[in-house]
Parts: sequence; structure tokens; C-alpha cells
Amino acid sequence: MSPVLEARNLRVAYGGNLALDIPHLALKPGELVGVVGANGAGKSTLVNALLGWSRGTPSVSGSIRLDGEEIGHLPPHARVARGLTLVPEGGAVFMRLTVEDNLAAAQAPRGSNRRAHDEAEIYALFPRLKERLHHHASMLSGGERQMLAIARALRLGPRALLLDEPSIGLAPRLVADVLRTVRDLVDEKLSVLLVEQNVRAAIEVVDRLVLLERGRILASGPAAAMRDDPRILAAYLGEAAA
Amino acid sequence: MNLVQQLINGIVLGHAYALIAIGWTVLLGVARLVNFGHGQIYMLAAFVTWWSVAALGLPYPVAIGVAVAAGVVIGLIMQAAMLRLTFAQDLVSIMIVTLGFGHMMRGVAGLVFGGNPQVLETPLSWVEFEVAGSWVTAQDLAIVVVAILFFLLLYLVLERGSLGRTARMVAEDPKLAQLAGIDVRRVYFAVFAFEGAAVALAAALVAPRTPILTNIGFEEVIITFVVVVLGGIGSVAGSYLAGLGLGIFTALFGGFVSPAYATTAAFLVLIVVLVLRPSGLAMGRASR
Ligand SMILES: Nc1ncnc2c1ncn2[C@@H]1O[C@H](COP(=O)(O)OP(=O)(O)OP(=O)(O)O)[C@@H](O)[C@H]1O
Ligand SMILES: [Mg+2]
Repeated sequence: MSPVLEARNLRVAYGGNLALDIPHLALKPGELVGVVGANGAGKSTLVNALLGWSRGTPSVSGSIRLDGEEIGHLPPHARVARGLTLVPEGGAVFMRLTVEDNLAAAQAPRGSNRRAHDEAEIYALFPRLKERLHHHASMLSGGERQMLAIARALRLGPRALLLDEPSIGLAPRLVADVLRTVRDLVDEKLSVLLVEQNVRAAIEVVDRLVLLERGRILASGPAAAMRDDPRILAAYLGEAAA
Repeated sequence: MNLVQQLINGIVLGHAYALIAIGWTVLLGVARLVNFGHGQIYMLAAFVTWWSVAALGLPYPVAIGVAVAAGVVIGLIMQAAMLRLTFAQDLVSIMIVTLGFGHMMRGVAGLVFGGNPQVLETPLSWVEFEVAGSWVTAQDLAIVVVAILFFLLLYLVLERGSLGRTARMVAEDPKLAQLAGIDVRRVYFAVFAFEGAAVALAAALVAPRTPILTNIGFEEVIITFVVVVLGGIGSVAGSYLAGLGLGIFTALFGGFVSPAYATTAAFLVLIVVLVLRPSGLAMGRASR
């Protein structure tokens, strides 16, 4: 099967310092790929670069294809319009907008045949959001904001979804819930690249795992095989020690 | 000079001030930008209106349209030049670039329209009628009516509908707005085009009240500054009230104390308000 999302020779530098160097990375249809690695390994840099987005001013080079179409030259909003969606680190939502407006602001382009979650599906997925519909996002808890950020991304009808630590700051039970939700979405044929600090939790739901270190892929493979990989164990221990 | 007369004068002046300032209010509220060439766009648009009527012989309403179109073009050119600075939110550079644009516009106006003061006579300046014992021209009435309609329309657009929501998203977090699929570049261009159009409309309506010279515009930019800050930065309703308040204050101060110090007094009010209420008078949130 040809990949939904494919990056080649992806390099990102911040002011001359190479932060990411990925010769090849692919995401197949209906696949959930986990990206793990220590703090500063380049996980956020990777998913941001795939969308051509950053809060800083990195220089990005390389080829990025979505459904075979080169998108590496497009501005972020145009990539979003083509079906690549990012939930950035820290579950970014519009604080001054209500939950309802946050959701209404995100809509799949008319005429696209992509599957966008409608409101009913969003509320079935995240019942909390329905209760808080008319609250400003600034009044939500951290976990509720994460839900809102993910819900917004789903409203855009993504072909491929990039999630940067959706479980950060959540209670352990909620972490499992969020990852389970992501798995369910993938089982409904969404392709997801999931950045996750919690290797143990991630390995339970992902199909493949990619281990980043200093901007390079140190190891990658099916989740089952990676489970006992000493390098993953090291990363895992490193995480536990941190 | 009776009180009613000064009040009516102040109401007209206030609507003129609000109309002159509204472009900058939106510019600041939505795009977090400043434009110190604001006053020179006013000046240039006043000349364009005058030239359209006097040289081209166009009817006044058409001349207003020509001035607004010129304002849009100037706004787009300015934004095109500053796009990188805008994305970087480099306010100091933007301040300097817009000041530079202002000086260039003055130079261009001098070359094209010459150094003589011009008077823009509109069919409305001749029509006068009596309101509560004092005389008001149809031109003054047009300023009030257009300002009210313009503010109402803008308020509705920004309060309801997807355009206002897009504006609030870009105002809060332009980077995040990109992730929601918004072409932020286009929003910035639209906002600067609006700024140019709004101040040009104000000029086409207000400039007939005074002689048009290449060095007008300074007072307009100061008034705009006071209105925008007093109104609560980025607040549409706040700008309307602040413009109206400032107009009435200026008229009363000018009529009963001293016209020479009216602007100084306005600044004094601004400073006092800022010291007492640093966020301005409006309770509204940014971009409202
Ligand atoms: N805006 C920036 N300017 C300069 N350097 C940056 C910037 N953002 C990230 N970096 C550098 O790039 C490298 C990778 O950072 P990145 O944020 O991608 O790491 P990460 O794997 O997401 O870490 P974390 O787990 O802490 O989120 C780090 O060395 C970091 O210092
Ligand atoms: Mg990160």
C-alpha cells in the first residue's frame, strides 16, 4: 500500500544547528506510528516540520508527500486544507473562544470527500465537551483542552493526523483513555503519527514505534518487536530516571 | 456660543473622530499592528477626493469611491512591504516603516497635488438645516449617519458570523489559526486594506470641513491614537464611545475654555485615564 504521508531527506535546522535529519519516514493508511525519544530528541520538530509549521523560525528542507502529492513547498494552511492536521504540543486551543466556536472554526473544505467528524460524533467521543459547549476554552481543565484540540483536528477531516503528546498533563487513567480513543480512530482508517513521552502506554496502542535521538532515527519497527529492544528499554529507563 | 450648539458640534466632531480611528482599531485588534502612516493616508485620500471632484468632475459619491479604492491600494502596498515584519510581530520596525511610508506619501502628494491649500466643496456643504436652534450642514449629518452605519455593520460582522471568529482567532494566536486552516497572510492583507479604506472614507467625508494641505494628517493620527487607547485597544464599541466622548470634550473645551489647548487637554485626559485604568475605558475584549 502506498503511504498516506511520506517524508524524504527531511532536515530541520534552527539557526545553523541541525535539529532533525530523517532520511525516510512513512505513514501507511490506517496505521498508528508512535514517535518516542528523550526531551529535545526532535519529536516536536519532526511533526511540526511535516506541517511546515513552527513557533520559531527553523529552516526546513526535504520532500513531504501527502497521498503522493508533494506538499513540502506549501504553507501550513494549505497543507491543512489537503488533509494533514496537527495538534501541537500543549493542546493549543483558542482561549478567548467558546468550546462551540473552537469547534465551529474548524471545518473540512467543502467538496472534499474526506471523512470529517460531525458534531454528534465529536460529542459521543468527548461527552465532556458537550457539557462545556458555551464555556470559554480558558475555563477548561488541561485535559478538557486536550480533548478540544483533538476534537478540532478531527473536525478538519484529516487524512493524516499528527498528535504531539496529546496525553501530556493528564491523569494516568485519562492517558489510557486518550490513547484508546486515538487507537479507535485509527481502526476507523485514520492514519496517525503520535508523539508520546510515555513509552509504556504508547507501545500498547501503536502499530510501529520510531525512536528518535538527537534528531535521528535510532530504531524503528513493529511495536511487538520494539517492546524488548534494549534501546527502547534504555529510553524507557531514561524516561523513568528523568 | 451656547451649550447646545457646542454639544451638536461635539457630536459631529465625535463621529468624525470615531470614523477616522476605526481602521487603526481593527488593525490593532485583529492583527496587532500599528500604522503611523495613518494620517498621511487620510491626507492623500482627501486630495484624491478633491481631485476627483475638481479635476475629473466626478460626482461626490463617486469621488468617495475613488478615495476608498486608493486607500485600499495604499493599504495593500504597505502590507506587502511589511509582510515579513508582520509575521515576526516586529512592532518597532513596523512603526518605523509606516512612518517612512507616511513621509513618502506626503512627498508624493506634494509632487502630484502641489503645495496650495485646496477646498473640497461638496453638494452637501451647501445644504443647512436647523437642529435645536443651531445650524448643521448636510455634510455634518452625512458624517454622523455614515459613521453610525459603518460602526453598526462592523460590529455585526465582528460579533457574529465566521468572519468575526476568524478575526478573533488571528488576533489571539495567528500561528494556531494556521493550524485551523486559516490563511493568515490573507487576513493581514484584508485588515490593512480595511485600514486604508476606512481612513480614506473618513477623509472623503471629514476633509470638506477644513482646507486640504499636504501637511494635514498629524492631528488625525494623534486623535486616532487617543481614541484607540481610550476605547480599549481593538474594541469597536469602545472606539465609537471614545471618539464621541473626545469630540464632545474637544468642542466643549474649545468653546468654553480655549480652542488652542483642546488637543493638549485631550492628551491630559488620555494620560489621566491610562494612569487610573491602564486598559482603557472599554470593558470589551480585544477585537470586539
Ligand atoms: N524554536 C526553537 N529555536 C531553537 N531551537 C529549538 C527550537 N525548538 C526546538 N529547538 C531545539 O531542537 C531540538 C529538538 O527540540 P524538540 O522540541 O523537537 O524536542 P522534543 O523531542 O519535542 O522534546 P520534548 O520531549 O521536550 O517535547 C532541541 O535541541 C531544541 O533545543
Ligand atoms: Mg516536544
